[in-house]
Parts: sequence; structure tokens; C-alpha cells
Amino acid sequence: MRSLTKSLSKVFISNWLRLTLSAVSLTVFLTLWWLFSAYLRADWPFQGVTPSPSTADYIPYWWDVLRAVGRSFVTRPQNTGGLLMSEHILASLKRISIAFVLALLSAVPLGLLMGRSRNAEALGRPLVELFRPIPPLAWVPIFLVIFKFFWGPIAIVFLGIFFPILLNVILGARSVDPVLIDAARTLGARRGTIFGKVVFPFTTPYLMTGITVGLGIGWMCIVAAEMLGAVGGGVGYYIFAANNTSQYELMYAGMVVIGMLSVLTTGIAGLIERWLYRWMGKK
Amino acid sequence: MDGKEVVINITHLSKVFIRDRRRIIALDDFGLEVREGEFVCLLGPSGCGKTTVLRIVAGLEAKSGGSAKVEGKEVRDAGPDRGMVFQEFALFPWRTVRKNIEFGLEVKHVPETDRADVSKKLIEFVGLKGFEDAHPRELSGGMKQRVAIARALANDPKVLLMDEPFGSLDAQTRNLMQKELLRIWSARRKTVLFVTHSVEEAVYLADRIVVMTARPGKVREIIDVPLSRPRDRTSREFITIRSKVLGELEEEFEKARAGELSPE
Repeated sequence: MRSLTKSLSKVFISNWLRLTLSAVSLTVFLTLWWLFSAYLRADWPFQGVTPSPSTADYIPYWWDVLRAVGRSFVTRPQNTGGLLMSEHILASLKRISIAFVLALLSAVPLGLLMGRSRNAEALGRPLVELFRPIPPLAWVPIFLVIFKFFWGPIAIVFLGIFFPILLNVILGARSVDPVLIDAARTLGARRGTIFGKVVFPFTTPYLMTGITVGLGIGWMCIVAAEMLGAVGGGVGYYIFAANNTSQYELMYAGMVVIGMLSVLTTGIAGLIERWLYRWMGKK
Repeated sequence: MDGKEVVINITHLSKVFIRDRRRIIALDDFGLEVREGEFVCLLGPSGCGKTTVLRIVAGLEAKSGGSAKVEGKEVRDAGPDRGMVFQEFALFPWRTVRKNIEFGLEVKHVPETDRADVSKKLIEFVGLKGFEDAHPRELSGGMKQRVAIARALANDPKVLLMDEPFGSLDAQTRNLMQKELLRIWSARRKTVLFVTHSVEEAVYLADRIVVMTARPGKVREIIDVPLSRPRDRTSREFITIRSKVLGELEEEFEKARAGELSPE
């Protein structure tokens, strides 16, 4: 009993320790930001120095940014499309979701095939190797011409999500323990069944890694994707427009929102992953 | 034993494979008959091809020559009439005990209620009651192998092929599982072909022990074990047979080692 309370309190303390450490790193970052902004403006504690107002425009105080985030949900500034932040978020979420579903539907079967069949691998590998290193952003001008303003941004985000999923699924399908396939065969399973009942479940954790990485890259792509024009706004568009009109607080506000959205989607992916693991018995 | 149908019939079996551009003869003119309900152990130095024989009979590996028939039919592919148990357990880690056992029935599209019936009986039969919904990672090695045996039995195969199934278990568990296997074998009257490199295991389990030569693998000698079960590992008869098998095997071990040392 004694050792139980002891170990419980140990867990409790180490949890608190980690929370404190996270808080410390955040505090250090915000402090440095504040000091830099104050330095540029010759505010306290830098009253003596020469201010540099032109640079200071770009580095607002962080509490002004937070205030701008709050304001963006309730006011409709003219220069960013006259939309509320919630409407921008919805527009971006819609793009990411469509791109994500399309990437999943195409990358999973292709990855399973390329991971299990040498011929499919030989067919796909050159194209993958050719296109994978090209940053999705490089396609922006071309895609807007080919796919126009609705599908263009989606196509760019799609590329960002597609390759991480594809590569992870290939890796997963390739690393299926051969003895599991042998076992399935001696139990009467044929090729198709083995794919569905052995290869796919085995690949799921790899798929989840691909999804997490892909969604992160998808959010990185969305600013550029929405830059050159986006029907119905978008957080990326918002950042771009705010920058163009020198409303730097709003620009940072958009960046903060994208960061939070990314954390949110990866968090959801993490939850699904944990649920899947429990379901598949891997914890 | 005579008068019983020959279930596994292997004649002039050979297996050649290429490794590093060299032809390696794994099996050469291997022959064996196993009758219905018989428990036969394949014993030999490592690399003698005993696992290869098993995998060819299972249909997991192609032969290079000769013939391997199960119930009169030439083996072409793996199938549920030959259950296999692997040293690595080979359980599906994302499936529970029950779902692992039901795998073969699922593949055969057996209705869910019938599947549940079969798995429930098997779980009791192999002593895993209470662990139906556990996942393999929660089980000990011995329990994992019980699941694997139950999974193979779910298809009600005529033949049970076992590839060093207890090789990764500790000595205590190993002895227990050997006893358990004999119980299962005598209750279900399966024909068992069992690969091992442990002389004691072979003498404890088998009706007949096939001692194989070092590579290329062929039959060196087939030794009958006419002891009644349960066998006493410390009895004089047991020890006599054990020394005989050991003597045969040691020569092959020497040859295998000489082969490894020679530059070729």
C-alpha cells in the first residue's frame, strides 16, 4: 500500500514536472518576443535605445496579436475579404478535408499495391521519385491555370498530403511479417483475403503516421494554395491579404489560427490512432 | 499401425535453391510415409532441411523434384486441410484470442454463430478460458502457442504440421506444452509431422523419429519409439532410446560442422 501511494505520487509529480517544463518553454518564447518588440519601440526596459519604427511595424506585441485573434472572430475587416475568421477557417477546413479524402482514397490502394507487388513498384517508383521531391508550392501557378480557383488550391494541398501517406503505406505493406502471410495461407486464405485481413491491418499504424505527417504538410501548403486567389476566403488567404495591406497583427493572428488548426487535426488523428491501436490490440 | 491409410507420402523429394549465385542442395532424395494418426518427428542438425520438408508438405514452398502427396493428392498450394504451427507463433497481433482462432472459419465464410461455437469449444479445449478477448501481446509464450494450435485445429485439418513449436519456450513451459500437445493429439487423432532439434522432445513425443543427415538432407535412419504414453523421461527405456538417437545425430552434427568449416 505504501509503495502504491509512493509510486502514484511519483507519477503525479512527474506529470506536473512535464507540464511545468512545457509552460517554461512557452514563457521563455513569449518573453523573448516581448523583449524584441519593446527593443524595437524603445519601450521599457529599453528606454535609452534608438527606436526603429519601420521594423517595429512587423513585430507587434504578442498580446496585440492575441487580441487580433479574438477580434477576427467578431469583426469583418474590409481588406481580408470581409469575412469572419470562423468563415475563413471553414473554407480552409473544407479544402483540407476534400484534399485529405482524395489523398487517402488514392494513396492507400496504390501504396498497398506498390508495397506488395514488385511489378506495381517498378511501374510506380519512377513517377513517385520524380514528383515527390517537388515542393507542392512549385505547382501553384500551373494548378491555378489547369484546375482553376476551386480545385487548384485543393490539388496543391492534396499533393502535400498524398506523398507522406503513400510512402508510409508502401513501407508498411512491405514490412508485413512473412510468417503472418504463411500462417494465413495455411489457414486457407487466398491473395485477396490476405490483402484485406493481414496486409491492411498490419499497415494501419504506418498509415496513421502518414496521415499525421501529411496533415501537417497539408496545413503548410494551404497558405500558398490560397494565396493567389481562393473562392470563399481561407485562413491562408487571410494571412496573405493582411500582409498585403500591412495589417501585421492580423497576419500573425492568421498564423496563430493555422497553428492551432494543425494542432487540432493532428490531435484528432492521434485520437483515431490510439483508438485503432486499442482496437487492434497494440495499445 | 499397419493397415492404416498413408496420409503423407513423400518420395524422392529434392529441393535446390540458389544463394549468392551458388546452387545449394537442401534436400536430396528424401522419402517418408506417415500413416493416419501417427506422430512423427523430424530431427536433424540445423540446416539439414527438416523445415523445408515441412514447408513443402504445407504448400508454402515449391519442391525442385520428387513428390509430396497428402491423402493421395500432390501438394500444389497451401490449404486448410494441413494446419501449421510456427515457432514464432505467427498470431495476428491485432486480433483477440477468439478472433485469431476464428480466422480460418472467417476465410471459409462460416456463419458467425457457428464460428463462435467452434472457437468457444477450442478455447476450453486448449485451456484458455477467460482469455477469449485478450490480445496476443498480453499472453505468455506457452499461451500464445495454445492459441496457435487452437487456430490450426479450428479448420479440422487431417494433418498438423509443427515447426519447432516449442523452440522459443522456457524448459518448464516446454515440458508442459509437450504434455498438452499429446493430450490434444490423442483426443483429436490428428496425424502430426513435428520438426525439432531436441532429442529429448522427439523421444518424448514421437511414434517414430526420422533422423536426417546434414545437408543435403535425406533420411539417415528411422527409429521407432515403442514406449507407452505417458512416457517417463527418467526411465531406463527412455534413456536407452535417447542415447541411440543422440549417437546417430552426433555424427551428423560433426559432419555439419565440418561442412561449415571447410572452405568448399
